[in-house]
Amino acid sequence: MDYATPLGIIALAALVHASFQLGVSMMTLLSGHSLSAKRSAGRTLGLVASFFAGAFVMTMLVVSTLAFLITKLWTTGLPAFPWIIASSLLIGVGIIIWAAYYRRGREGTALWIPRAMARFLEERTKATKDGAEAFSLGLTSVLAEFVFVIPPAFAAALTITTISAQWQLLALVIYTLVASLGLAIVVVLIGSGRRISTIQRWRETHKRFLQFAAGGGFIVLGAFIYASYVLLPITMLKGIF
Amino acid sequence: MSELIDVIKRGKKRTTEPFEENKLHASIVASCLSVHSPEAVARHAADRVCSVVIDWAANKPEITTDDIRRQAARALTPIHPEAAYIYQHHNVIM
Repeated sequence: MDYATPLGIIALAALVHASFQLGVSMMTLLSGHSLSAKRSAGRTLGLVASFFAGAFVMTMLVVSTLAFLITKLWTTGLPAFPWIIASSLLIGVGIIIWAAYYRRGREGTALWIPRAMARFLEERTKATKDGAEAFSLGLTSVLAEFVFVIPPAFAAALTITTISAQWQLLALVIYTLVASLGLAIVVVLIGSGRRISTIQRWRETHKRFLQFAAGGGFIVLGAFIYASYVLLPITMLKGIF
Repeated sequence: MSELIDVIKRGKKRTTEPFEENKLHASIVASCLSVHSPEAVARHAADRVCSVVIDWAANKPEITTDDIRRQAARALTPIHPEAAYIYQHHNVIM
């Protein structure tokens, strides 16, 4: 069996997942609020690490739950239909990312999320004092961006169900590790004593590039899945190739 | 003196409340601390920013929270540019 294509899809799906910015925004705020509340750098790093652990666990849970549901829904192998859904979602959401991931006409890195929700998340971030709260905030950060998380997670879950059982756990771990890369980098930066102003300036300077890359990644992945799992089987069936 | 100035709050209702110097002071200190400033430096920066904002607001009966933020950021920038950046951009991180 060819493992390069499924693992490639899983890695690319995880990479576009890693480009999401809500978790990074919340982690930046968490670090800033913790330091301004006169907590030590070690304590702040502990909170940020707990946040990371929460986001990591929720990412893994989302993908494994989707994979479980897929195996229950399609017990005798995957038809073209779920692949069409995955590629449509990826292409559609990719276009939405290009158009609306960051709020137009606002400086900074204000995201698409409704302002009332942003204020709520900010208040929760400010009120976070211990590791358990930071962990649940990490869990929430993945759920709050569910609209954008679903397409790559669904594509990865579909792909995971096509590979043999001994590779599935590894694929799940690869997805979660790569999807959490952005947050991991921020944890390392905060741990090494970088100022949140430096992190935020970098994010603001490169936000259009990140937006373009994320949207582009979604569309490329959607097109690749459509070609590999919808078009190719049809053409092979008709004996074109 | 500063309590005589009314601050028009953000939002649809645009309610007013008296200007409270300690609120401004605390927010400047928090911005400085969040970028790893020592507490003494943070308090010194906040003292200077508060005096600049109070001088600017002295002859105005009403000011908005955005006015305060703008003036405070302008005063903080030469003293502590990193803290000023966070103070200005705090609301647009997420």
